[in-house]
Amino acid sequence: MNRRDLLKAGLVAVAGMVIPLNALEVFDDEAKAAVKAAIEMVPKKRRWAFVVDTRKCVGCGMCVKACKMENEVPFDADVSRTWVERYVVLKDGDVLIDSPKEARYGYTKNDPMGREIKEDEIAKGFFVPKLCNQCEKPSCVQVCPVGATYKTEDGVVLVDRTWCIGCGYCIMNCPYQARFFHPVYNTAEKCTFCYHRITKGMKPACVQACAFGVRKIGMLNDPNSEVFQIVMNERVMVLKPETGNEPNVFYIGLDKIVR
Amino acid sequence: MTEVHGQLWTIKQLFTYPNEYIYWTVHIALYPYITGLVAGAFVLSSLYHLFGKKELRPVSRFALVFSFALLLVAPMPLLFFHLLHPERAFNVFFTPHYYSAIAAFGLVFSVYGLIVASEIWFAYRPHFIAQSQSRKGIMGLIFKVLTLGSYDLDERTAHIDEKAVKFLAAIGIPSACFLHGYVGFIFGSVKTVAMWKSPLMPVIFLMSAIISGVALCIWTYILGMKFFRREICTDTVRSMGRVLAWFIILALTLEMLDFVFHGYTAEESWSILSKIIFGKFKFKIFVLQWGLGMLLPIILLFIPKLSTIRAFVASTCVLIGVWMMRWDVVIGGQSMSKSLAGFMKYKMPIWPHTFEEFREGLFSVILLLILPFIFLCIFNKFTPVFTEKKCNFDTEEAH
Amino acid sequence: MGHAWRPLAVAFAFILLILIVRIFVVPSDFMAKNGDYKYQWHRVSNEKDWKDFPVGYRGREFCGQCHPDKLEAINKSKHRKVECENCHVLPEAKKSTHPVNLQKSYKYKFIIGINKTRHLCLRCHQKLPYRPSVYRNFAKPVEFKMQDGEKHNPGMPCITCHDVHKASFK
Ligand code: SF4
Ligand code: SF4
Repeated sequence: MNRRDLLKAGLVAVAGMVIPLNALEVFDDEAKAAVKAAIEMVPKKRRWAFVVDTRKCVGCGMCVKACKMENEVPFDADVSRTWVERYVVLKDGDVLIDSPKEARYGYTKNDPMGREIKEDEIAKGFFVPKLCNQCEKPSCVQVCPVGATYKTEDGVVLVDRTWCIGCGYCIMNCPYQARFFHPVYNTAEKCTFCYHRITKGMKPACVQACAFGVRKIGMLNDPNSEVFQIVMNERVMVLKPETGNEPNVFYIGLDKIVR
Repeated sequence: MTEVHGQLWTIKQLFTYPNEYIYWTVHIALYPYITGLVAGAFVLSSLYHLFGKKELRPVSRFALVFSFALLLVAPMPLLFFHLLHPERAFNVFFTPHYYSAIAAFGLVFSVYGLIVASEIWFAYRPHFIAQSQSRKGIMGLIFKVLTLGSYDLDERTAHIDEKAVKFLAAIGIPSACFLHGYVGFIFGSVKTVAMWKSPLMPVIFLMSAIISGVALCIWTYILGMKFFRREICTDTVRSMGRVLAWFIILALTLEMLDFVFHGYTAEESWSILSKIIFGKFKFKIFVLQWGLGMLLPIILLFIPKLSTIRAFVASTCVLIGVWMMRWDVVIGGQSMSKSLAGFMKYKMPIWPHTFEEFREGLFSVILLLILPFIFLCIFNKFTPVFTEKKCNFDTEEAH
Repeated sequence: MGHAWRPLAVAFAFILLILIVRIFVVPSDFMAKNGDYKYQWHRVSNEKDWKDFPVGYRGREFCGQCHPDKLEAINKSKHRKVECENCHVLPEAKKSTHPVNLQKSYKYKFIIGINKTRHLCLRCHQKLPYRPSVYRNFAKPVEFKMQDGEKHNPGMPCITCHDVHKASFK
């Protein structure tokens, strides 16, 4: 093989490599668009969204009481569509987390995890209300074998009580454990953002019951809504972003210890 | 107080979410266990049909029919005992949502069931025809139905039957693997449970399926032969023992690899997952699942001149070990809270006081474990499984 | 060769059976809405079922129809963001003491009554080290009143001295 042949072969090899690479660039725009959609704050579609301002929450649990009454989840059952967690960090670094009776009776004692804690041992503490995140990509809906749970066009995830077979796959697959079995209907149950209220122009029962302005609901793609204003102008966070569920419930004042 | 599903058998420790209970209980452990036995038994019977392992002939038909008996029981724990609305179980076929691993399982399972049923039909066709002509009454009628109305029996059809059995055995193996790999996928794809979320899960489930299926065949073969006072073929047992031993090695390697990987990458969940593996479940995992269920059988099976007793003990250990593996995966995986800050303990209801306690309790498990054997006895009336009188592998048709 | 296809025929019979039964069992509006099989495969009329779920919480205007004086008082007080139903719905009561049968006349879902326990007030006002001490839901932040229920006149109902509707002393 002389030099010329070598050169030729080299050129052919390089060209052979470049052409397929160029062909791949056709997909580049699509890939970029997909990535862009994933990190955009405001979706193009109509989306109900929720904001929880944990800095204001006093842990009275009125929202839990209102929710259980409104949505007919038996008040004495140890499950709830929404609940309030208490996080207490001690000066020695211990983290105490609890949510006794989902906070349906509120917090009236300084007894995190049943421990008597002196005031000067506490470094910080706060309350975090939780509810279904009405995820943009709900892993619960993905795994329902019969199509008994679904997402509406405005982004709320609902369960069909007449079609659910009660397998519990969706319950296992919700990273936030927002689902449970309804003790009366024995079907999967979850927060609906009070779909019967928001579609009539009312606020969800928990939002109405909160005297402290912790909970807010609105359309995420509506520039006039308070939720839009907060999500666009403040630093908000979602729970467990690593799961890829893309929650539509945004939190203000989250801490790294929040689960 | 209004009792919530799960409260009866869940004990919560430290911080768990309020709605968190052990929702997938013992039946979800039982269901992959029996499905695994199905797949394993079928693979064993195919080793004879497909690869002509002559010494396996005495068990090939038995393994096939037993596989079918197990197959009928396999979905029962899921459909009738686990579902809160068993009356709606058929919704899975009416409005399947194939994004869900369970819906797809319905399809894979049915296809596989058809393959096994047809293989049995081809294998027993001469028997059905002969019986339908000689028997009277109800039995005669059933045999007539079983022939599916085809009575030609000559050299040509016999040749076709043989080919069909071979063909079905051939497509049966991948679909058996697919079936059980799929069960692994049901768990492996649950991204919220750190212990399950692993691409190795389907393969791990497949390997343990094969070993449990082969072990069950050894076990039932030895017991059955003793029961009918026939001769136990040593070569047959040894051959099955070899298959078993090699697959145990594969299974053990994969299971260890999975744990090593979880530990080495040490994601956020590892801090609590390690407490499950090396704490609450250490006896179940390291002693029962690996020690008793895998290492001991490997030693027993690899010592030369395998005796019937040794094979029997080894396969019993494997059966226990694989059951422990299902238990550790299903219950162990749920024992850690999704909050990564607490645990849940599972306490299986034993004595049934209410229907719920029976359904979720020990006695329904025992019932489901006996059922395949009852089915086998019934099938034995129509498709006799132990037809070989002597251990003679050289002549083509011994019976 | 003919006989070899019989198992397949049985299989097709089964599939046919399921397809036929399906026609009768599956509601006609069961579909993948907007072609989205992944997230919108459902019985469409179930959306309406949820929209028709009866409303329970009515808010202060509902109570104010008969109790305008109370409504006026509370609207002037610092409790103006607290809904009547927060305190007056009794989740665990069996029978209502309300003079008008709200269930009958207004299809009202809850049992209304008066809860005089200290616990009710302490849900918000018990002093906890991690309870926010500033109230921020008015135009201007104000100090949030907290008491230690164990030290502040223990055993005495709060309403002995306090008027809840005025959020001040009697
Ligand atoms: S929070 Fe859970 S239940 Fe709600 S949409 Fe997301 S995955 Fe589903
Ligand atoms: S429990 Fe009901 S809604 Fe949830 S996955 Fe099973 S069938 Fe679907």
